[in-house]
Amino acid sequence: MSIDKNDVILEIKDLKKHFAPHQSLAQTLTGKNRKVVKAVDGISFAIRRGEIFGLIGESGSGKTTTGKLVMKLIDPTSGTIEFNGEDVTKTDKERTKAYRRQVQMIFQDPYASMNPRFKIKDVLEEPLIIHKIPGGHVEHEEMIVKALTEVKLNPPEEFMGRYPHMLSGGQRQRVATARTLILNPLMLVADEPVSMIDLSTRAEILHMMKDVQRDLGLTYLYITHDLSTARYFTDRIAVMYLGRIVEMGDADDVIDHPLHPYTKALIDAVPEPETGKVDVIKELPISGEIPSPANIPPGCRFHTRCPYAKPECSAEAEPELIDVGNGHYQACRRYKEI
Amino acid sequence: MSMKDFTYRLGEFWADFRKETSGLIGLGILALCVVVVLAEPLFLPYSDVNGNWRNISYWEDNPQAAPPAWTNLFAKEKSATTSRYKSPVVTDEDDPEFGAVRVYTFKYGYKFDKAPLDIILRAKGTGMLFMNISIERPDGESVFLGQVYQDGLDGDPIRFAVETDARSAVYEFIRNFASDEAISNSDSSNVKPTDIIFSKAGENMLSAREPLKGEYLVRIKIPASILEDGTNTIEDLRLLVTGRVSGVLGTDTAKRDLYSGIIAGLKWALFIGLVTSVISVLVGVMYGIICAYFGGLTDTLMSFVFEVFVSMPMLPILIVLSAIFKPSIWIIIGSMIVFYWVGPVKTVRSMALQIKEETYIEAAKALGSGKWRIIFKHMAPLLLPYSFANMALSVPGAIVAESSLSLLGLGDPSIITWGQILHDAQLSGATLNGLWWWIVPPGLFIALMGMTFAFLGFAMDKILHPKLRTR
Repeated sequence: MSIDKNDVILEIKDLKKHFAPHQSLAQTLTGKNRKVVKAVDGISFAIRRGEIFGLIGESGSGKTTTGKLVMKLIDPTSGTIEFNGEDVTKTDKERTKAYRRQVQMIFQDPYASMNPRFKIKDVLEEPLIIHKIPGGHVEHEEMIVKALTEVKLNPPEEFMGRYPHMLSGGQRQRVATARTLILNPLMLVADEPVSMIDLSTRAEILHMMKDVQRDLGLTYLYITHDLSTARYFTDRIAVMYLGRIVEMGDADDVIDHPLHPYTKALIDAVPEPETGKVDVIKELPISGEIPSPANIPPGCRFHTRCPYAKPECSAEAEPELIDVGNGHYQACRRYKEI
Repeated sequence: MSMKDFTYRLGEFWADFRKETSGLIGLGILALCVVVVLAEPLFLPYSDVNGNWRNISYWEDNPQAAPPAWTNLFAKEKSATTSRYKSPVVTDEDDPEFGAVRVYTFKYGYKFDKAPLDIILRAKGTGMLFMNISIERPDGESVFLGQVYQDGLDGDPIRFAVETDARSAVYEFIRNFASDEAISNSDSSNVKPTDIIFSKAGENMLSAREPLKGEYLVRIKIPASILEDGTNTIEDLRLLVTGRVSGVLGTDTAKRDLYSGIIAGLKWALFIGLVTSVISVLVGVMYGIICAYFGGLTDTLMSFVFEVFVSMPMLPILIVLSAIFKPSIWIIIGSMIVFYWVGPVKTVRSMALQIKEETYIEAAKALGSGKWRIIFKHMAPLLLPYSFANMALSVPGAIVAESSLSLLGLGDPSIITWGQILHDAQLSGATLNGLWWWIVPPGLFIALMGMTFAFLGFAMDKILHPKLRTR
């Protein structure tokens, strides 16, 4: 299944973000360059209009950096970002502002992402003021009420005068979603939107987000480390390891038939709350911590932790993502053997 | 922020502030200062002190370098206090010398151990006037003080001071009593006329003086013929007995009333302190935020400029500046701001660096917010409490710096400040002459003003510090 070009809303090509650590003058003069942190090291993917695309990986895999790159909160080292067929990698102030009106972000911590001194009303009015949405206070208030109804905060008037700390985590994340919706964006970047919310309300929030997505025809870039919500929530997923995508495809396909050993390990790690299995802490087939992105292993970057690693994995060049059919991509040279 | 919201926060702040005793003391003193400044004429014993502080003739009736009046409470020998008399008793008498005369009589009850410094007679006259002035003592002796003859008056003031105008006349009085030997042994220039007038008469009245307490009558005789035709008049006749002690805080060597000077200097202390601290703190806080927010080269350059200002010694440069420009209070305030804005920069910069990393700043950026909106809407309000505390804490510094400049003689001569009073004291050698009332009160008031704002600052720091006060 190939992707129709007209259908693509966001396309990323060979995007890299390398952080250069601060160097002292002596280090520069002696030529002792410290190692560059390769947070995102050449990723490419495309998101279709109206789809929910999941970006999955453990801490340090570079998924949040990717989200920030898409939001243009940081500038990429190389590579391009195309939005709606337009290259937005390097834009001036005006274009960036216009881009941000179309692409919005929901942050992980719903409390930290709102100024504690702002009332909910002020939080929601801020994007309207920033983008100089015509209308006075009254019209803005109507829009705020509409956005709050959209995220099912009822009655909206009751919430508008409150401060963020007076709301529960779930309510805050609804407000955060309402803040992004108020500008009628085309796409939302959701960086682990439910990871800090109680399990009991998690499903509710995801339901709400999905409803909103369906109602307004939005596109989501959903960043998470949680495979179980990803399966429920996303249409397609990409699994990231140490700054690269190792497997990508339809959510059900990837989770039911993982090809890359890293994906397999992640899926095995999901606890199953079944009788008799609750007390069993799963032994991960992979061991150790994710290596430092400043010191990426040569060859296949997963070989240090891979249970199937052979000498060739570290000796030969880095494997590229290969299409295994049906829109399923993976980056293990031995996927057929394992 | 709506009005209701603001009053709510203010109420919340007040609830916390009430628990800080030092803050309440500071607020109390500050309120008192404001009342004194607003109702200044009520507190000043002399009218128009502000325009006449350096006008010598304005203060000429005051005693010179007199201690405060309340020092009498602690002294064994009581010193005469200042008293003023208006509306004399007017009688018509026959005088053996001048014939029919009109006599104006002032009554002065002397009950002290140390005689007054001076007796001053003031009046306004028109035309030609002749006055014969004498004093009648309780022991029946009469001392002739002198005569005033002035022609061509047109409502002009007439002034007769015993200390200067009656020296020789009083010396004549001594001759009636003291022995020739005693007179030749004494130095006539050392004899104070008032000492003689208020002492018991006798052989050795020059060497051993005993106060003569009782009722004294100052009599001014004007021949009736002068006043007859109405062209020559005398009006507004007043008598002033200048005490050895004066006022609440005494006088200086230029006869100025120090209490008046301190009250008139209060508003300048407040003004200099507040203007300097408010402006310099606002500048410093904005500078720190901009440093932190923009970072990179901007931060490096701005930090460099900051370091340059921080390492410049303020006082020497201010001295040079004051020498170049004509010292004016505006130049002094301006140059103090140039040196004081660096105060909060480093702290604000580090605080702003922290705030900058908050997720809601990133969220605002993701919403498309510009940098100035982030700085003014999201960062500055968080630093406002710190700024308020910092303002209060830098007021004393500004007051002391202005005082130091004034002490060096570089103050604005058109205003009265406590530093200038100290400067004058130093020039006149007040410390060497024991004129403590000239040095201690202005110094104490400078310290008190500093303490007031330091108290306020500490209290606000405790309440408003964003670190201690979690959201």
